[in-house]
Amino acid sequence: MCLAIPTKITSVYGSYAYAETMGIRQKINIQLIENPMPGDFVLLHAGFAIEKIDQQEYIFLNHTLNEMIKDDENE
Amino acid sequence: MMKMNKECKKTIRIMEVCGTHTQAISKSGIRYLLPNHVKLLSGPGCPVCVTNESYIDAAIGLLSHDHVILVTFGDMLKVRGTSSSLSEKKMKDNVITIYSPEDAITLARKWPQKIVVFLAVGFETTAPIMAATIKNAYENGPENLFFLTALKRMEPILRFILEDERNKIDGLICPGHVASVLGADAFQFVTKEYQVPAVVCGFEAEDLKAGIYNLLDQIEGERPVSFLNLYQRCVRNTGNRLAKECMDEVFQKEDGYWRGIGKVSNSALGLREKYQRLDVKNKFDLSEEIISNPSACQCREIILGLKAPYECKQFGVRCTPETPLGPCMISSEGSCSAHYKYGRVIF
Ligand code: SF4
Repeated sequence: MCLAIPTKITSVYGSYAYAETMGIRQKINIQLIENPMPGDFVLLHAGFAIEKIDQQEYIFLNHTLNEMIKDDENE
Repeated sequence: MMKMNKECKKTIRIMEVCGTHTQAISKSGIRYLLPNHVKLLSGPGCPVCVTNESYIDAAIGLLSHDHVILVTFGDMLKVRGTSSSLSEKKMKDNVITIYSPEDAITLARKWPQKIVVFLAVGFETTAPIMAATIKNAYENGPENLFFLTALKRMEPILRFILEDERNKIDGLICPGHVASVLGADAFQFVTKEYQVPAVVCGFEAEDLKAGIYNLLDQIEGERPVSFLNLYQRCVRNTGNRLAKECMDEVFQKEDGYWRGIGKVSNSALGLREKYQRLDVKNKFDLSEEIISNPSACQCREIILGLKAPYECKQFGVRCTPETPLGPCMISSEGSCSAHYKYGRVIF
């Protein structure tokens, strides 16, 4: 349950934002992040952005996550 | 990895304390590529695995009230209390699994005539989220949402492990996601006070190899013992200021009870006075009888790094992810589950 997922913010509305996670658009809470902006990459945990990350890390984590999902599907 | 194969027979014990690291290490097979004298141990990184039986008993006790609905993360359903689990006791619609604590607010608004209780479990990755949800509920309602907290702090349990005489941890891989909230600096004490090499590292196999390589260099005396943040692309030295402030506003330190381990001073986060009215313990009389390790499950030894999962007689025999006997097998982040799932591929 500690898993944090790489996500890209697409638009910001007060304490909330729309974000894209692995191709899926969803509403997330961004009240724990300073100056969230469209285009920012964040770690998403239980519906909340918990930290900004850079684009390289976003790509790395997406790769790790995809591998985990593929692995689960192959079981 | 060449360097790791050099001659050195002293057993080297490296511990990680993050459920995602547990999974990533097991999945990558790094454990089995290392020479025999290098042991990778999984510490108390899975919040579900360390939730005390008495907490589950208290949650089950709440179900005796007709108008109570429990909401929780899915991992919690199969965790047993002293005699049963939420999945065994739940009836239709009185235990609901959710993805985000914000869903608890939505559900409480949907059913104003019910008492909705959120089971707030987790380490400092999850605690700021719980804090924000509690703050939002305090300020804007709904009035029928309450919390049963069992939030844990990483530092006191690490100190507990590092101070255990039996437990010779030579190196520590710090919890990546907790570090992204608290900051890498929060783990400097491991090296400064205990002279144990420690690294913050990422979750890719390459990150883990770099972290382990670095620790081995320090342990074998090829580099001075130091604390290193190898995951700067995600973990700042000072962490997330807003998240820490929110956590600090809502919670205060209190003694925590860990499954199989018992009481660890200041290892939990409880609600501050201002937010006490949202604590379900103040609404219902919940007697929590603290019981530790009543079964044959050896999660205590596993969590403290004293044993590997395969050293438990139940492992893979009576205890599998389909028929888990202990919490380390229930959660996919648990050490036993990760060993069971990925260990067999290697053998
Ligand atoms: S294998 Fe099962 S019984 Fe043994 S320690 Fe792990 S969870 Fe407990």
